[in-house]
Amino acid sequence: MIRLPDDIETKLAAAAAGGIEYSSTKSKQGSTTAWCGLATTDDLLSVGKMLLDLGARLAMASAMQPPAPEEEDETEEPSEGEPPEKEIPKTFGGTPIDGKSYEIDYHFVLGGDFLTIVVFAPAGGSVPSLTPYFRAADWPEREMMENYAIQVRGHPDPRRLFLDPSIETAALERLIPYSTLVNAASTKGLWDRVIAAKRGAS
Amino acid sequence: MNAEPGKTYTIPVGPLHVALEEPMYFHIDVEGETVRHVDIRAGHVHRGVEYLATKRSIYQNVVLVERICALCSNSHPETFVMACEQIAGIEIPERAAYLRVVAAEIKRIASHLFNVGILAHLTGYDTLFMHAMQVREIMQDAKETLYGNRMDIGAMCVGGVRYDLDAELIAYLRAALDKVAPEADVLAETFKRNRSLLRRTKGVGILTKEQAVACATVGPVARASGLPYDVRIAAPYAAYDKLKVTAPTLVDGDVWSRAMIRLTEIGLSIDLLRQTLRDLPEGPIHLSERPDIPAGRAMGKCEAPRGELVYYLKTNGADQPERLKWRVPSFPNWDALTFMLEGAKIADIAIIVNSIDPCVSCTER
Repeated sequence: MIRLPDDIETKLAAAAAGGIEYSSTKSKQGSTTAWCGLATTDDLLSVGKMLLDLGARLAMASAMQPPAPEEEDETEEPSEGEPPEKEIPKTFGGTPIDGKSYEIDYHFVLGGDFLTIVVFAPAGGSVPSLTPYFRAADWPEREMMENYAIQVRGHPDPRRLFLDPSIETAALERLIPYSTLVNAASTKGLWDRVIAAKRGAS
Repeated sequence: MNAEPGKTYTIPVGPLHVALEEPMYFHIDVEGETVRHVDIRAGHVHRGVEYLATKRSIYQNVVLVERICALCSNSHPETFVMACEQIAGIEIPERAAYLRVVAAEIKRIASHLFNVGILAHLTGYDTLFMHAMQVREIMQDAKETLYGNRMDIGAMCVGGVRYDLDAELIAYLRAALDKVAPEADVLAETFKRNRSLLRRTKGVGILTKEQAVACATVGPVARASGLPYDVRIAAPYAAYDKLKVTAPTLVDGDVWSRAMIRLTEIGLSIDLLRQTLRDLPEGPIHLSERPDIPAGRAMGKCEAPRGELVYYLKTNGADQPERLKWRVPSFPNWDALTFMLEGAKIADIAIIVNSIDPCVSCTER
């Protein structure tokens, strides 16, 4: 059975010219869960190709908008003069973590092990489609595009997957009231009939 | 493959009554009686549970994820709590690990019996359908007796399980297994010998090994096409590393092979349950305190009745998860239908769709 090779970090670093951020943990029962951040989305395809050659299977892709870190309370005495300009924290690849950027995690399975490739894209950004290497990327990428305003470059079939075309795009970026979510509609037709029946009875 | 214009005729199949109660729409191009191209259109029962999950606390989500699907209702909380425990660095008590196996395997037997029963119904063999459902009823009764519910059994919690077995319940479950085992054998024999069943299912809806790999299929669909992947063996969890687990494989990749894998697994699950009841260690069934889940990220996976179920959990120390995402085994398996249905006869569509044991509410969430 295939497993995550021991030199996976070297392999990933070789495939990603922009740089990687790698970490892994091993469970007591022997399976590894590894995470690899890519500095730039440009490396996604070369990393995908390398993983395909290793026999990896794309199990899932999760998109999200990581919230901006909460501001820490100022404990220091305010220094004199101009207040320092506020800096937006960034990922190691330089994408601002402002609550509007996207984090996309591609979860690969190699036998019993997990390897998650993490990429970031700023608001209005895009990622290349993994469909040239992984047929199974098709549906997850379509789901990503309807839930967030993220573009997937080169997707062969960028139709809606689950949401109806009449629904505004980027559904997970908005607050949707539950009644709207379930498309609940109520009329007072029944009530009118009840009143009319009561009137007729009396 | 794209059909030539003018030579084909488009028929809608679904969204209702394609083998199941759940809606899925197949836009099918046929040439005469033969399927040429399939376009699967999903979304009829999309409920936005993923969004809802980020508004609920971790502990409310244990309840919520159990309601994503009825047939794999135990696998969802099982995998979700595994992800939580990974982030918090929790090790569950040994007895709890064994009890998780009990819940999972009981659900697997009931789920597989349901699927092969429906297959019998779709071939027009309703007597066998009712027989399979009657056998399944033994497992439904077992769930009701052990957990108080027939489908959503509420067995899992972060740090262990929510039910215990005493000597009386263990004896009851053993007796139930003794009743199911010979009945399941009879079902398997019927599927091996009955000529009308064989004619309808052998060589129908073939998925080759290469196609199974390309579609990233999992579970019985993958195993019937010769891929021996089973999470219980590849990445053991709960108490599976202490039990003897086998994953049957077949090579033909047709409807019959997928049914046969499920029928074989019923027997193997009964065997697993007997091992578990034999080895069940004493001790607590969950942690004494409800643990806090710190900030972190984790991946969980388990072998649901339909195959590998994957959970991704990201927390930031708040009560609600920052992101919770899951991929059910049916999700990649739908794609395999485009290969299985190509070249199939219209009359076989329902049988082939049923053979991936699809779960629509799971897929669309």
